[in-house]
Amino acid sequence: MQRTNLFKIFPKRKLTLRQKEALYGRLFILPWLIGLVIFFIIPFINSIYYTFHKIRLGDSGLEFEFIGWENYIYAFTKDPDYLKNLTSSITNMLYEVPIVIIFSVFVAYLLKDDFKGRTFARTIFFFPVIIASGVVITVLKENVLGSNTSSMVASSTTIFKAENLRAVMINAGVPRWFSMYIVDIVNKIFDLTWRSGVQILLILAALHNIPKSFYEVAIIEGATEWEKFWKITFPMISPTILVAVIYSIIDYFTDYGNQVMRMVVNQANNGKFEYSTTLAITYFLVVMIIILIVNRIIGKRVVYLT
Amino acid sequence: MKVARAIKINYTFEKFRITDVSKLVFKKNLFIVLKKLFLYTFIICMSYILLYPILFLISNALRAKEDLFDPSVIWIPKHITFKNFEYANMLLSYPLAIKNTLIILIPSVIIQTFICMMVGYGFARFRFAERELLFGILLFTIIVPMQTIIVPLYMKFRYFDFLYIGKLIGIFTGKPMTINLLDTPWPFYILNFFGMGIRSSLYIFVFRQFFRNMPVELEEAAKIDGCGPFSTFLRIMVPNATGAIITILLFTIVWHWNDYYVSAMFCNENLPVSVMLTALNNRMSMIQDAYGFSSDDIYLIGSNVLEAGCLMVILPLIIVYIIGQRYFTESIERTGIVG
Repeated sequence: MQRTNLFKIFPKRKLTLRQKEALYGRLFILPWLIGLVIFFIIPFINSIYYTFHKIRLGDSGLEFEFIGWENYIYAFTKDPDYLKNLTSSITNMLYEVPIVIIFSVFVAYLLKDDFKGRTFARTIFFFPVIIASGVVITVLKENVLGSNTSSMVASSTTIFKAENLRAVMINAGVPRWFSMYIVDIVNKIFDLTWRSGVQILLILAALHNIPKSFYEVAIIEGATEWEKFWKITFPMISPTILVAVIYSIIDYFTDYGNQVMRMVVNQANNGKFEYSTTLAITYFLVVMIIILIVNRIIGKRVVYLT
Repeated sequence: MKVARAIKINYTFEKFRITDVSKLVFKKNLFIVLKKLFLYTFIICMSYILLYPILFLISNALRAKEDLFDPSVIWIPKHITFKNFEYANMLLSYPLAIKNTLIILIPSVIIQTFICMMVGYGFARFRFAERELLFGILLFTIIVPMQTIIVPLYMKFRYFDFLYIGKLIGIFTGKPMTINLLDTPWPFYILNFFGMGIRSSLYIFVFRQFFRNMPVELEEAAKIDGCGPFSTFLRIMVPNATGAIITILLFTIVWHWNDYYVSAMFCNENLPVSVMLTALNNRMSMIQDAYGFSSDDIYLIGSNVLEAGCLMVILPLIIVYIIGQRYFTESIERTGIVG
């Protein structure tokens, strides 16, 4: 005769495999989930709360005065710079990011094979990663790239400028808009090169993760180098390219050199915290939409092994 | 190349003429030589672009006052001095700043890398209902920079209260108990442990992509051998992810070292190096008093001292990078599956 256990409120259920898997997955991401709620969502909601208020420093700390959509209306209709900067940074992003990605894939492909001095070359190419983020690059841009007129040193921006190129192209009868576009890119080469360190690294790591047997098969089947690249290498690194694209977009939008970011920081420094937050939040909603679109477009074409 | 194809065609027709093959071999050799030539030209040009700022910094940091007005000095200063470094050392209070940085950096980096790897693995290999939604939120957290949420975060660490335990105590004592965590490294440790540190979301994303590319056979074998998911992760996945780990470690070190926005928010007294560097210009008066300079002198050597300071700030990173370079390259070399 079976004895029923009266103390057992929860009968012991055996979990199905799928439920087990879900449970373990949730356990793995648990720390991040807690952090997300406490250190991201709640502060973010607080920030949104600020945008609907006017903040004043009163006697008893911060005083909030509810003003509704005022800040948002101001940003999109009255602020002379915001919309202009927003559109210009989006259009710039659209042609800068592909160049960065193509350049990184190209460089990573060059650095992949063994040649004399490869270690040196790699060391040099990842150099920007170390310096390009942080205070030092600001100093460099001011002093080396010569936007700072107060420094005694002769400015050397002319090295990376292509004024002559424009003259040559216009004389050669190239359409004006096209020559402007090319010259613009050439002028930005320094900047773009300095921005692609991380992407090169990611793609290089991906290139080394491709099993060699794939290439061996290709050689036996008689594939050319060109075919090997487009039929094996490119599909295999496509997940990493997706990461690199998203990284580049974010890097571009959150760069301190970005006009909108500069507005955000300036407004915060002027003590208009509610307005700065308003700008930041609308800006990042726009960026989020762009990234979701890119993710959808590229994600469809990404090849996963499993 | 067309070599293989040509040989194959010839092979099928069983007319294997020597001349064809030798022509092709010559062509192939020419191609290789051209490729090498292009490669080295390209690398030399790029090296110039990438090293230019550093060389510029070094050249300027070593200049004495006399060289500033000398038009014949382009790269190599005539009067090489290390005085600028001496001033920068004093202005940055360098040893102390380095110590502060390391106290924050070393535990943060280790915690951050491990947690990000774990979460990335969870996203990559387990199916559960809300996964895609959470992953969308993760992408969102990458995009939203610290600037939007820094003030609420600041308040949170100023009156820190973990999981609202303080409020609970407050019910009984009448006053909620909070701790001031500013000026300690704890805000960084806590943020990193909960996967919200500097660029944590990005690292989670990278690890997820990495683990999704790993062959499933490894885990299946481990499962059959009786490994639970956590021991599979620790014993199988972590050793196999060495390449990704070292890459991410390098990134975490670099970004923690270079970060100044968050550090400036959470530290008032024990400032890390990067924050000191931003304050360097404002502290010039210190050397004015110590060395008896006039304000004109300060105006002259100011930018050079700043450049020396920059060099001192990136020097440890460069050293770490050059030491780690070898392991780093080797780790990239390793293919996904060994043996």
